[in-house]
Amino acid sequence: MTTDELEKLLAQQPVAVLHRLARGRVQRHFRAGKRRLIELILQHSSQNRAGLESDLQALVGERQSRAQQPISPAQTTRRPAAALPKRMPSRGGEPESSEPAVSLAAWFEGIGVPPPQPFVPDPWQEEALAALSDTDVVVSVPTGSGKTYVAVEAACRAMEDNRSVIYTSPLKALSNTKYTEFSRIFGADKVGILTGDRQENGQAPLLIMTTEILRNLLYDAASGEIDVRLDTLGLVILDESQYIADPERGVVWEETIIFSPSQAKLLLLSASIGNPQDIADWLTSIRPTACRLVRHSKRTVPLRAGYLHPNGKLTPLFKTLGIPYGHAGQLHPEAKRLFFEYEEETLPSGRPRR
Amino acid sequence: MPPSIHPVDLIAALRQKHLTPVIVFLTSRRACDEAMESFDHADIVLPPVRQDAIAAALERVIAQYPSIAEHPLIPTVRRIGVAAHHAGHLPSWKIAVEELMRQGCLDAVFATTTLAAGVDFPARTVVITQSSIRKSRDFTDLTIGEVQQIAGRAGRRGKDQVGFAVVTPSPYIDLGVLTKGFTGHPEAIDSQFTISYPMVLNLLKAHPHEQIQAILAKSFAQFQLNQRAELLERKLDALHIQMEPFGPRVCTDWITQWQTFDQARRQKPSRHQIRRHESPEVSARFHFLTPGRVVGLTRGRGIVLRQYRSKGQKSPMVTVLRPNGAVTECPAPSVSEVFDRVFDCEEAPVYPWCTTETFDELSHQLAELPTRVPVLPILVSKDSEPLPDAIVQSLGDFPCPTCPSRPACQKDFETASRLRQEQQRHTKSIQALRTSLWHRFQERVEVLQKFGYLTSHAQLTSEGEWARLIRIDHSLLITELIRAEAFSGADPSVLTGIMASIAHDDDRPGAFPRISSGLSSLLGQVRKLGESLSPYEDPPLLRADVAALAERWIADPALTWIGLCRLTTMAEGDIYRLLARTLEFLSQIHTLKATHPGLADSASQAIALIRRGVLEELP
Ligand SMILES: Nc1ncnc2c1ncn2[C@@H]1O[C@H](COP(=O)(O)OP(=O)(O)O)[C@@H](O)[C@H]1O
Repeated sequence: MTTDELEKLLAQQPVAVLHRLARGRVQRHFRAGKRRLIELILQHSSQNRAGLESDLQALVGERQSRAQQPISPAQTTRRPAAALPKRMPSRGGEPESSEPAVSLAAWFEGIGVPPPQPFVPDPWQEEALAALSDTDVVVSVPTGSGKTYVAVEAACRAMEDNRSVIYTSPLKALSNTKYTEFSRIFGADKVGILTGDRQENGQAPLLIMTTEILRNLLYDAASGEIDVRLDTLGLVILDESQYIADPERGVVWEETIIFSPSQAKLLLLSASIGNPQDIADWLTSIRPTACRLVRHSKRTVPLRAGYLHPNGKLTPLFKTLGIPYGHAGQLHPEAKRLFFEYEEETLPSGRPRR
Repeated sequence: MPPSIHPVDLIAALRQKHLTPVIVFLTSRRACDEAMESFDHADIVLPPVRQDAIAAALERVIAQYPSIAEHPLIPTVRRIGVAAHHAGHLPSWKIAVEELMRQGCLDAVFATTTLAAGVDFPARTVVITQSSIRKSRDFTDLTIGEVQQIAGRAGRRGKDQVGFAVVTPSPYIDLGVLTKGFTGHPEAIDSQFTISYPMVLNLLKAHPHEQIQAILAKSFAQFQLNQRAELLERKLDALHIQMEPFGPRVCTDWITQWQTFDQARRQKPSRHQIRRHESPEVSARFHFLTPGRVVGLTRGRGIVLRQYRSKGQKSPMVTVLRPNGAVTECPAPSVSEVFDRVFDCEEAPVYPWCTTETFDELSHQLAELPTRVPVLPILVSKDSEPLPDAIVQSLGDFPCPTCPSRPACQKDFETASRLRQEQQRHTKSIQALRTSLWHRFQERVEVLQKFGYLTSHAQLTSEGEWARLIRIDHSLLITELIRAEAFSGADPSVLTGIMASIAHDDDRPGAFPRISSGLSSLLGQVRKLGESLSPYEDPPLLRADVAALAERWIADPALTWIGLCRLTTMAEGDIYRLLARTLEFLSQIHTLKATHPGLADSASQAIALIRRGVLEELP
């Protein structure tokens, strides 16, 4: 294909296709208009024209094959497995389940407020609290599971034991929210806050601070400054500790954990991450006791995913009622059809639609 | 069809299906603001009871944070029950929205994904309109962890039996990223350990130099590096086993010996005259490579059909019949064995250089050849060739040509040397993995020594003693400015301006034209210093507009928050964050009161002046 031919072919494609080609090739491609987009794609692929051409042809072929067969809702479109495999909503080799797709009515079933129930701690919450009396604990559970209960209860037990507690969060806004919340629970005199620009009740048994502030306290203590708050410290709670992977600030979590006094227990609360066992093993390798990992990945409130078309039509996103974990390809045929239509219809203006 | 659903239609549809309250995640602050504007004339108003409930709840928050009383979004919030929540807003506004949401007053909040991780307000439904987010300056696809963090806001425990995550397309969406995000396993996280100057100073303040390596070894970074090193060590063990057959031979390090020999041998033909560089052995053998002779080659055996010298290089060549009936041309040195067996061969002047009958006969003989055939002993006469030039002389230094293990070496060399290279590569990598943190630490130590914060024995100098208290980004620039007495005589407003321009790391455009000449010239100096320190520390943006804005806030105590906001195009939330971060930097300067009382005093005046209006009201 000559550059002219390639350019012409690109120009014939709907913008949606161009964006798909631009993924991984052009930074911030969706900021570009069509002309510029083509320019950028060509520019980027000057070294690897063959790759661009084959991706383009795969996309064109896919569109043609889909346009030829009228799509009935029950029919699932197979895409050429070779084309941009990792970007495809439907994975080439995955067996389509033969079960019928969930209906919208079934998808809506159960929506609403559950009947009030007495508060009973979840087993994982109990497990974390029990383990904490002997050792450090890493908790990795989905958002909304109830990590705050573990933090509050653990802080409560440590304070009953006349030990002080430090609770850190990555953001000042979160620290402030927790300060309000904890003051309500424990009483204002029991809770203090230290952030980069705020200091209140700095000698309270439960101190809320940003992780940077704790790191600084630990450095000062290491260089010989006496800090009673650290001597009686019984528990350090690091909330949102998945921040250890933050490119700029992650190091602060490591410093804090390395220098936390060994007599204090560490409680790391984290959203679901891929390798919580590594974090626990790391703590075990540097702390006096073997760290306990408490993890689960099941959401407490079940989640359903839906697809809302710009024309207001709502359909389940997946064939299954819940999220089909591990099977990204199990799209609901209706969602698939509508999304395909969407990609087709977001054609550049001024070009007749097919 | 519009490229994405209209916000009013979206909320109407979700309400009708009982999918509210909902958090709608949009790509940008602007998208959130535009969504709010689109409700200006919408008729999907709330019933009066709910409007009153919102008004009452707002009343309570305003009592605590008066700055939001006049917030332009309030009418829409009250009328429709929708709000926007993003980093461009003041924290007090965000607190108000969170509070309203918690009390169940709102039907929808438009928010940016950037904040999804930081805020704590769930809803029944989340709406996702994008598959990528702006990180520093570029858009990157959402990770699985991020998609799940966003979806995690859907379904409030105790308030919802089910949570809903609804995808609605916009031109920027890649459905594959989202479906993978919903269904996938969150990514493993990796250490982002970096060694900063203040870290080095503080470590060396508390621990002797020789203990530091052990401390760095406690990092998660080293833990993960060790994991990788252990993986390589296991590979290395496997390589050791594979290397067993290639242990010491006649020479202990036969691989190197052979490699050098082989290289020398290969270099010869291009540089030297023919015949000269033939090894005596090849010359000696060549006599025996006559038609009908059974020979061994690197791959199997064959029967010589003719011998000749190549046209250009005049190197000794043989044509060999191979077991599959193929006829190949081989350089004589590639003949590894000359066997004590010759068959009758009726030669012919053209290919295949023998008669058809002979060819068939030889093919048959070759197939029938017993596995063991005795090798012909060939005496190499040392003086058969004079060896005048350097290469040949050095070749003469190699024992290889006459060594009994030569055929084995020649055969095994390729495999053995590949394995050994792999071993060496792994060993090097393991070494690097085990020591890289320490090396990075040492590099920092050297810089700090060069600048006089550490002695040659890596102990803190008097400068290092105070410099270790500056534990913020761009610490080297700040401490160097202090040492250069850049701030002496500068009043609090100029100090604040400089600190603001160092602290601010956002490149969103903002405009503020007027800057005092004092600040402007000092900023020039800071830029120069920052530039000269760039081999050791990335210079900050040092934006003049940001410096000027912070300066004005301090210099003009009568300036109100609204007045300040009118002076710039920056969003309220950004101005707030700028001043809050400047406050943090100033309080670090304030810790230097023992060594730099004047400067610390100036900082504390600045701190007191910053804290007014919105900045004081806030928690
Ligand atoms: N064992 C439990 N039973 C019922 N509700 C709970 C339980 N634990 C926590 N919750 C509720 O779950 C909600 C989410 O908890 P939160 O601690 O904010 O989640 P996380 O911090 O894990 O994201 C809160 O409203 C909390 O009261």
